[in-house]
Amino acid sequence: MRIADQERDDVLLRRAGKGDEEAFTLLYRRHQAALYRFALRMSGNAWAAEEIVQDVFMTLMRDPKKYDPARGTVGGFLYGVTRNRVLKHLERTPQREVSLEEKNENGTGPGIVLMDATTPAIQAEKRERVEQVWGAVLDLPSEFREAVVLCELEERSYDEAAQMIGCPIGTIRSRLHRGRALLMARLEMLRDAPRRATLPTRASVAK
Amino acid sequence: MTCNEFEEMGLDAERDASLSDAQRTAATAHVASCPRCAPLRDSWEATRLELRALAQATGTLTAPARVEMRLRQQFRTQYHAPKVRRTAVVAAWGLAAAAVLLGAMSWVKWSSNRQSNVAFKADSPGSNQGSSDQNATGDSQTLMADNELSDFTLLPGVLPTETDGSAILSVRLQRGALGALGLPVNEDRAAEWIQVDLLVGNDGLPQAVRLPE
Repeated sequence: MRIADQERDDVLLRRAGKGDEEAFTLLYRRHQAALYRFALRMSGNAWAAEEIVQDVFMTLMRDPKKYDPARGTVGGFLYGVTRNRVLKHLERTPQREVSLEEKNENGTGPGIVLMDATTPAIQAEKRERVEQVWGAVLDLPSEFREAVVLCELEERSYDEAAQMIGCPIGTIRSRLHRGRALLMARLEMLRDAPRRATLPTRASVAK
Repeated sequence: MTCNEFEEMGLDAERDASLSDAQRTAATAHVASCPRCAPLRDSWEATRLELRALAQATGTLTAPARVEMRLRQQFRTQYHAPKVRRTAVVAAWGLAAAAVLLGAMSWVKWSSNRQSNVAFKADSPGSNQGSSDQNATGDSQTLMADNELSDFTLLPGVLPTETDGSAILSVRLQRGALGALGLPVNEDRAAEWIQVDLLVGNDGLPQAVRLPE
């Protein structure tokens, strides 16, 4: 057996099912980041994303036979379980219950990392803008949000997104279209708000 | 391409692999000439840049290390604890089985000992009353007689017969009297008195003789 074969997801899962902790850890490390980001971008809640990822891997640990190789990859299966957990979470808490400004365990808010912020002022401004955009994404209905997260934030193709969600590609296009329209309207409004705030009002001009 | 079609398909025509080249060309042509859709495209480009910034800002996030720690802990609990438990269960069952086997063997042994004791007691003289006492006494006499008979010497001309009903008779006589029974006698000591046991048969005749000393 080649090394590549030994490290295939389904092989790792089989080994994990027999009690191989190393295989399970490798599987976790391979997939956790993508699942966590998806859950976080969908929920806007670091605690919820953490719980969801943990829950997904607990499910995998307790019943590895739930994964059916005939139905797709381990990654796809894990994404499917994560998606179900996220949607359940959103059903329970339809409103965003945690502000993006709240600190997580590392004290960095929701975990936003600004790579190109040169000064604290610019960093603060960019952070605020990113938070606004994220807030606008989180305000989208969950089906539109999911399409936007997959296609715009995770840069997946329409085809991939359709497979992951399990719907026709036309549905993805339609959801994206409506999601974009809502998002653009919201962000246009946010872009205009500071401008409106700095523009002199008619009353002040009259004075 | 109409404005509605552009909004739905043309806005992201470059990425939508399901569109044909002709549809992409039509979208490009439409946006170049449509005063409504051109600003829409610009707005979308601005929004997309902001989404890129959000994607970058959240692109390096991973689940906290404590999640992995908790999962590994749970993994160990699930896969290793049951093995230990299983071993303990097997050992416990083994011990229990051994204890039961030992108990059974002890009981069987005790039971067989008990039966043999009962049989011995049943055979022994003191265990029965009445007629069984007589039997026991008879047996003991027979045993005694058997022991005593072994020292007797048959008298000449007497054939060995059953000794049932015979009696031992102790007599004091002169050594010379043994000659009358057919035994050789030392003439020098013929007048010497000796103690002799005679085995007398049912017919009252002596059959064997024993010299105790």
